[in-house]
Amino acid sequence: MFENSEIALDELPGAESLAWRPLDSRYVPRLQIDALITTAVIAVIVLAVQYAPLPIDIRWRSWVPWLLLPAFGLSLVLWPLLSVPRKAYALRDKDLFYRSGVLWQSVTAVPFNRVQHVETSSTPLDRLFGHAALQVFTAGGSGGDLKISGLPADVAEKLRLFILEKAGADLEHG
Amino acid sequence: MADVTAWQRTSPLAALFYLGKVYQAIARNAFQSLAPLAAFVVAYKGDPLQSLLVGGGLFVAVTFVLAFLNYWFFRYRILEHSILIRQGVLKKKQLDIKFDRVQALSTEQNVVYRFFNLLTVTFDTAGSSGQEGYLPAVRPEVSTALAACIRRTSAAAGAEVGRTQKPEPLVRLDIGDMVRIGLSSGRVFLLLLLLGPLGEYVSEKYGERLEETAVIETLGAIQIGFAAGIAFAAVVAFVVVLVLAGVSITAALLRYHRFELFADDEVLRSTGGLLTRHENSVHRTKVQSLHVTQNVMLRFFGRFRLGARQASSGKASAGYSFVVPLCRREELTKLSDEFFPREFAGLALDPRSPSFMHISPWYLRSRILLAGVLPAAGSLLLLWRTEGAVALLALLWIPLAALGVLQVYRRYGFMCRKDGMAFRSGFTGFRVVAWLHRKVQRVTVTQSPFQRRKHLATVRLHLAAGPAVKIPFLEYDTAAALRDYVLWRVESSQRAWH
Repeated sequence: MFENSEIALDELPGAESLAWRPLDSRYVPRLQIDALITTAVIAVIVLAVQYAPLPIDIRWRSWVPWLLLPAFGLSLVLWPLLSVPRKAYALRDKDLFYRSGVLWQSVTAVPFNRVQHVETSSTPLDRLFGHAALQVFTAGGSGGDLKISGLPADVAEKLRLFILEKAGADLEHG
Repeated sequence: MADVTAWQRTSPLAALFYLGKVYQAIARNAFQSLAPLAAFVVAYKGDPLQSLLVGGGLFVAVTFVLAFLNYWFFRYRILEHSILIRQGVLKKKQLDIKFDRVQALSTEQNVVYRFFNLLTVTFDTAGSSGQEGYLPAVRPEVSTALAACIRRTSAAAGAEVGRTQKPEPLVRLDIGDMVRIGLSSGRVFLLLLLLGPLGEYVSEKYGERLEETAVIETLGAIQIGFAAGIAFAAVVAFVVVLVLAGVSITAALLRYHRFELFADDEVLRSTGGLLTRHENSVHRTKVQSLHVTQNVMLRFFGRFRLGARQASSGKASAGYSFVVPLCRREELTKLSDEFFPREFAGLALDPRSPSFMHISPWYLRSRILLAGVLPAAGSLLLLWRTEGAVALLALLWIPLAALGVLQVYRRYGFMCRKDGMAFRSGFTGFRVVAWLHRKVQRVTVTQSPFQRRKHLATVRLHLAAGPAVKIPFLEYDTAAALRDYVLWRVESSQRAWH
């Protein structure tokens, strides 16, 4: 039978008063080490290019990269101080929210009954800091649909199991 | 009917199918092979014709052997709930395609197969970015048996069964429609784009030789006036457009001749094609979104093109799984009810519907600044020192960009109903995408610094098929309410999204 009852939008569960949980506080130094490593690798490449026997002479402006590199490295090192406090996640009974972005700020919501699978991963640097990344996959997306990096490894594992349980329960009941 | 539950071979004519696939793969990867080929031709010291013949002969022989081996190692077996396919010459592969995962079953019958009463059957599944399995050169009974198995599985999952007779078509296209499809196809413009550089290449390469020919000399001797020159150019342009339109109409005839769309239990089925007869089918429940497009020519004809997208877990595919190449305004409502029965109430696929609501007018200011003022100011600064006051002409870009932005803004529109949403966009034409809330996979609300100042937001609704639908510049409260409502509908839905 056709139904067209009015929906009271105010009564819907809103996402405005979520209890946001921040990422691990040591995620900032972890990203800063990443930034230093990246800058060092670029410096080595610049050095290699400057001293390599190239068919074109680029030595006349060899000071340019050494002027740009510290500025680039510094911005990479400072950026996590701004970006990490903006990143946070919130867990509700039926969905997961993730907030990120400094200039372009976004909030993504993934309902558990749309989750296809959940993955945790960690790089050697992550393991050094006891971190792991949680990736939540839904249908149709390419790659990880929602990736939360900088979680304490035990929290990431707990979240993975919780989401899997919720997604499984929805599959059984849906 | 043969026992299809045992391991089966396809007809040896399947080798033709593999031959086509081998040549397709070569054509796709031709760029990689061009460099070594060119190097070989340059380095070769002998008779090039002889080497071409030997090389060509070897190439054809190898592809034939490859095609035959592919046929030889291909086996299939239809079980109660799935079909097993074994294939591969060196790298063996066994596919187990569950019938409940099959999104669509398509058949294709080219001229050779039609003569031998054979078909190529392809399966689309939710777990693939494209067609996952195929059975080349099989008897129509196999396709019928597979369709019955899939229908039976769907019935077990709650769908209705009971088709006994061929239903009346929902859409039937005639020869006039082929002309409309041909004339409204983007291929005409694509061909023009391709012909441009080709013409330039030909005139560069053979221009000098042509000038020496008697015909050109004779033409050159004739003194033609300015008006006659214009008329001649117009005639040439007209002939070119006529030829291109002819090519495009022929392509439409080849693909959609005697196109018919049927609603068949839980399945929508289309047939069409002049030489190769295509039959596509799609489960209504598997459709994720409907897309209606109307370019300038289709607007002139008062027709629309409808596409349906199905789930794919691979890369976000831009193509449609199911297409109705032409339909009338009144058929749009009927078709949307067929694709999303009982859930499409109040939603409109017609881009002219007054129910579409505009996005925030702040979009105009933001985009005029980005696409108009910033490039114009940049050009002015760059050109001022060299060109002087002439550089001020760059400012003319601002009103042009503003007109373009205004046109895009007027096209943007959205409507939200109890069960679904529709979003309209476009520039010269229209494009409407519609979906059900319960099909949404995730929602993202984004704010740029400008949007934060104006209390606005952009909503992205991710579906299981195609790229996310992006609704820009909504009032933030509307965006948040939309996100909360969609989440509530998804989380409280008792029906599957696939």
